[in-house]
Amino acid sequence: MSKRNLKAYAYLAPALLLAILFSYIPLAESIVSSFLRISQNGAVRGFAGLGNYAGLFRSEAFLRSVGHTIIFALLFLPLNTVLTIAAAAATRRKGKWTAVAEFIFISPMAVSLAAYAMIFKEMFRGRVSIISRILSTDIAWLESPGTAMLVLAMLGVFLDFGIDYILILSGFRSIERDVLDAAELDGAGSLRMLFSIELPMIRTIISATIFMAVKDALLISAPVMILTEGGPFRSTETVMYFYYLEAFKSGNRAVESTIATLSAAVSMLSMALIAIRRKHALKDI
Amino acid sequence: MLSRISRAAATIFLAAIIAFPLLYGISMSFFTNIDFTDTEAHFISSAPTLRNFMVALSNRHYPRFILNSFITASLSAILRTAVTVMAAFAFSHLRFRFRREILIMLLGTMFIPADAMLYPNYRTIAALGLLDTYAAIVLPSVFSASALILMLGSLLSLSSEYYEAARIDGASDHAYIMRILCPMMQSVVAALFLQAFIISFNSYLWPLLVTNRNSMRTVQVGITMLGFADGGEYGAEFAAITLIVLPFLVLLGIGKKHISGYLTSGVNR
Repeated sequence: MSKRNLKAYAYLAPALLLAILFSYIPLAESIVSSFLRISQNGAVRGFAGLGNYAGLFRSEAFLRSVGHTIIFALLFLPLNTVLTIAAAAATRRKGKWTAVAEFIFISPMAVSLAAYAMIFKEMFRGRVSIISRILSTDIAWLESPGTAMLVLAMLGVFLDFGIDYILILSGFRSIERDVLDAAELDGAGSLRMLFSIELPMIRTIISATIFMAVKDALLISAPVMILTEGGPFRSTETVMYFYYLEAFKSGNRAVESTIATLSAAVSMLSMALIAIRRKHALKDI
Repeated sequence: MLSRISRAAATIFLAAIIAFPLLYGISMSFFTNIDFTDTEAHFISSAPTLRNFMVALSNRHYPRFILNSFITASLSAILRTAVTVMAAFAFSHLRFRFRREILIMLLGTMFIPADAMLYPNYRTIAALGLLDTYAAIVLPSVFSASALILMLGSLLSLSSEYYEAARIDGASDHAYIMRILCPMMQSVVAALFLQAFIISFNSYLWPLLVTNRNSMRTVQVGITMLGFADGGEYGAEFAAITLIVLPFLVLLGIGKKHISGYLTSGVNR
């Protein structure tokens, strides 16, 4: 071991130690535990084979939480994609007021999850909420399953909006002026330019933000905790909220370790897909 | 011309939607208790009052919550910046064995969702005897693979001449990092620090799990359990929220260029 190696390892030690302690050890622990029978107090009772997984997929509460997560994703993804692209497209050309609009569109980054969730709770509370007044209805948004999920999806949009907007906006702005000028000379209208020239050119960024959004959608838990606590009638109990209840409230190690292993597997698969698509981007490191 | 008008209309419509919850939250912090229970929801207070802010600030726990958040966010930002700069320096300036393997291992943590590792991490923290400490709140979020990627991207674009010149002058690596690297990379380092601070200050779930005593709670957890609503003080809840959101809004306004430059530095490569 040369001195030069040692010096480099010393600089890397803190990062490595933290990565191992808080990412790799827990991952290994989850995978191993998912094949063991472990009692509530943590004592290992023997090998379970695939028993924990079979049990998980027989659990009605788990299957329902998968369903809720899918419904959430189906509401959240289109809303998030359309709104962020629309905001970025509307402000992609710099003008007098774009700086103000840009600030408004990135402002959600300054607001925490807890703050937004508390505000949303009040915005949609009861039959005489401010949103019901604006839309002139008397829907009790958070008290019936369908609308509660819709509110949760809207909250999700606000949590991701700032960063997605910045990424897509910078994509639009990075398109070479010449390309746009040439298209304009050809007489392409503004909408046609957007849909047939600009959006296709930034599709890598858009697909990256969608992938990120998919990941966020599948992992959603904390907003559920504050906004609906899984209700009404457990209709917004998502997979990761179910995980939280089982791991921390019921001490169910079988459910905890199998869900952890499965979500790590799903996350790795989806990230691997991005990595393959973006391989060229990492080549120079 | 028409397209400019339609873009402006779309911008105003979307900006109204995006700004509404924040503006309404701020507006509610001036509400009287009657405004919350009225038969018609109010946009603005019927009798604007600063009373809610007094109630929030005189709460027994609220100032302590803010202090805790400030301390943990500062620690988290300082540690993440240090750990990231050190690692990025090694990868960009030094040649050593297993360089590729270690880099893959560090970046591989991106594939492991932290939300699914809450329970084993909780057990680790408990086993280390760190529950209800600042270390418990801070440590698991110090290393960030995405921060490393962005930092490394910037360092790799730096000419190696600076490092060679510093070494010829007899400067140690430590001196080179502190006196040359960090000042030259000022805006990236500042953005990294700021982003880490905001993320840590705004985090909710992990601090909730590892703290039990009120004296260790962070403000994000705290605002959901101050219990003003139980005492009929709805407005105080939103005053407490407004007070912690406004500084970040100002900070975002000042650092807007830096932050967006930093976040998008990976986009166009």
